[in-house]
Amino acid sequence: MGLGKKMADFIDARLGIRDILEQNLTKYLLPRNINAWYTLGAVLLTLFTVQIATGILLLIYYNPNTDEAFRSVQRIMNEVPFGWLIRTIHAVGSNIIVLALLLHMLSVLFMGSYKRPRELTWVAGFLLLLLSLGMCLTGYLLPWSQLSFWATTVATNSSQELPMIGDAAVRFLRGGAMVGQPTLGRFFALHVMGFPLLFGMLVLFHLFCVRRVGISRPPFGHDWQAPPPSTTFRHEEHPGGIPFFPHYVAKDAAIIAFFLALLLGVVFFAPGLFFPPAAFEPADPFVTPPGIKPEWYFLWAYQTLKLLPSEFLGLAVQGVAVTLLLLLPFLDRSPERRPSRRPLFVSAYVLGVALFVALSVWGHYS
Amino acid sequence: MKLILRFLPILAVWPLLFLLSAPAPAQVPETVCIQCHGAQSGRLGEPVRLWKGSIHAANGISCHGCHGGDPADMAMAMSPERGFLGKPAEEAIPGFCGRCHVGVKEDYLTSAHGRALGRGGPQCVTCHGSHAVRMATPDLINNRDCTRCHDYGRANEIKSAVSETDRRITELEQSLAAMHRIGIATREMSGELFALRNRFHRLFHSVDVEKVRSRTAAFQSELGTIRGRVDAIEEELKRRKLWGGAVVALLVIWGILAWLLHRSYMDDKKAG
Amino acid sequence: MEVSSRRKFLVLSLSTLGALVAGVAAYPLFRYLSPQPTGGEKGRVNIPRAQVGAGQAHFFQFRGHPAVVLQSAPGVFAAFSAICTHLGCIIRWLPENGEFLCPCHAGRFAGDGKVLGGPPPKPLQAIPVALSGDNLLVG
Repeated sequence: MGLGKKMADFIDARLGIRDILEQNLTKYLLPRNINAWYTLGAVLLTLFTVQIATGILLLIYYNPNTDEAFRSVQRIMNEVPFGWLIRTIHAVGSNIIVLALLLHMLSVLFMGSYKRPRELTWVAGFLLLLLSLGMCLTGYLLPWSQLSFWATTVATNSSQELPMIGDAAVRFLRGGAMVGQPTLGRFFALHVMGFPLLFGMLVLFHLFCVRRVGISRPPFGHDWQAPPPSTTFRHEEHPGGIPFFPHYVAKDAAIIAFFLALLLGVVFFAPGLFFPPAAFEPADPFVTPPGIKPEWYFLWAYQTLKLLPSEFLGLAVQGVAVTLLLLLPFLDRSPERRPSRRPLFVSAYVLGVALFVALSVWGHYS
Repeated sequence: MKLILRFLPILAVWPLLFLLSAPAPAQVPETVCIQCHGAQSGRLGEPVRLWKGSIHAANGISCHGCHGGDPADMAMAMSPERGFLGKPAEEAIPGFCGRCHVGVKEDYLTSAHGRALGRGGPQCVTCHGSHAVRMATPDLINNRDCTRCHDYGRANEIKSAVSETDRRITELEQSLAAMHRIGIATREMSGELFALRNRFHRLFHSVDVEKVRSRTAAFQSELGTIRGRVDAIEEELKRRKLWGGAVVALLVIWGILAWLLHRSYMDDKKAG
Repeated sequence: MEVSSRRKFLVLSLSTLGALVAGVAAYPLFRYLSPQPTGGEKGRVNIPRAQVGAGQAHFFQFRGHPAVVLQSAPGVFAAFSAICTHLGCIIRWLPENGEFLCPCHAGRFAGDGKVLGGPPPKPLQAIPVALSGDNLLVG
């Protein structure tokens, strides 16, 4: 007891740790009507930590070489003790993360939290979503299975439709004419170093924005009012609010536990849920497996491409949709955040979600 | 600011381009055989259509695998110089198929069926068909087909002698496929089972009931060895589920307790 | 008071369960990182030399897989995995031709394991073999 206190005193005397902790934990007040959707950020931080930990563990036995990659993953799945567990958590975890990311984005959209002064938080968050999808895509290639090979072939092939530079873009992405060792090399580097570094910096920026601007008050209840417009920086205070620690941390912990239970539930009871059969066949550049489909979170894009008359048009529509979402806070500038007062936005929101689901289901069964 | 806004869309579209999947996967170039015959109608095009649903097609065995010739040279594709064989005469069929299916050929040639070759006896194609060759099952031995030449009695005896072993083989194949679906390395066991299935299937091409019966025990015991290994893996999978279930339950309980703790703090806040 | 004792109980059970979960998670991690047995010397097989005549092959189990040892010329021994590299059938030795034949799809291998014909994509996997007195030491 005495030693612990002495050490804490030692550090506190030099770095003023107690003050920082107090300011960010017990004296950090959150809005009284804060809801469970606000825990998704903490959930995502936990899930990404799991991905990093399992990713590092997989690196011990994985071999990024087209002759060895598939065998090394087979070895992890069958010979290394508990390798199957680490690998399945990593693969299923990526799917759960995309789910949590979508929920996080949808709740922020619904509550209008992206609006001034939180435009930068939104843009950083949306770029994090795109980066995560990029990590999903690059990670997909690494096991060098039939699924890896053909999903990457098809995905890189779509940039062929870019005007003028199409062929050059495909070659650049693949590092050669076909998907092969050069592709595996660059995807591996991006997946384990490039994207995670960029991702880490963006997460720090995102969290900095959240903390610096202050948590947005959920736009519900009679007494909600749009904050007065301000041209100077102002931290949003919540006097009389609930302390982050321990009140809200307990809620964060509860939802995190439920998400981890969901992740492990899939890992143990439906391990094949996110693996099509082609995921367990070694890559064969001469045989296209029948009926390959993208992951569920890309099905909407896949179905759009199939429905529109030209691939370029499909890419353009998707580009516009993504750009609109990225720039939403700059386009939707009214300070009103209450859903009941934003009928147009809410209808577009419901339609958008319905369209995403419908296109995905259609893409899955077509 | 304006400049940044103008560039942002481009930045946003770029990562997306990676992510998309086009509808039509890239195709492996077709052989000249299929290019030409596939486009023809009637007798000359029919084999391509029949072959497409066959087990040979599924395993990547194309026209030239059996008929020889040059699948890459339109002009010389059907030249005997390049080993083109065309359609074999009836007596030549067992030799034609037996270039790959050596074991089956051996047992067939010494059987009553094989000895009657050229004198109205059946050859490979009689039962298996030619281009739409499918995975062989005991259903190929049936009243309708066998009675084209002789009565069904003896054929039925053979069928009942093989069907139990065949059922166990099929069952094992299904277990292995299910395990393969979740990433268990089954290649070696599948190979052993495939070899066993092969030896077993060549055995009943001898159409000798006594021979089939006398060897069945040996096959059954080999099957038992593979079954034992499969059972051990399935046992392990069950154990994983048990532990996994316990951990999931722990996490759910932990989450509920944390939620209750949160509630208790909130009650405090309301009271205070 | 009542609230405080309830909270104490909750915090205590949360820490206990948390420690339990962490413990359960630590075991797989420890096993995953533990060095694995390599087999090494253990898997050697002794075969009496007399069992393998000149120009003859002898089949045996080697580390759980079928294998074959061959005396291709008097005094020259070679051992291979007997699993055909095509689809995993077990090869046969044809002394009259001096080659291995896979009965499933007519793959042919020479006495040194090289592919002579048929569908096999690569040669038979060689296993080291050494002469020790009247015995052959395989592995």
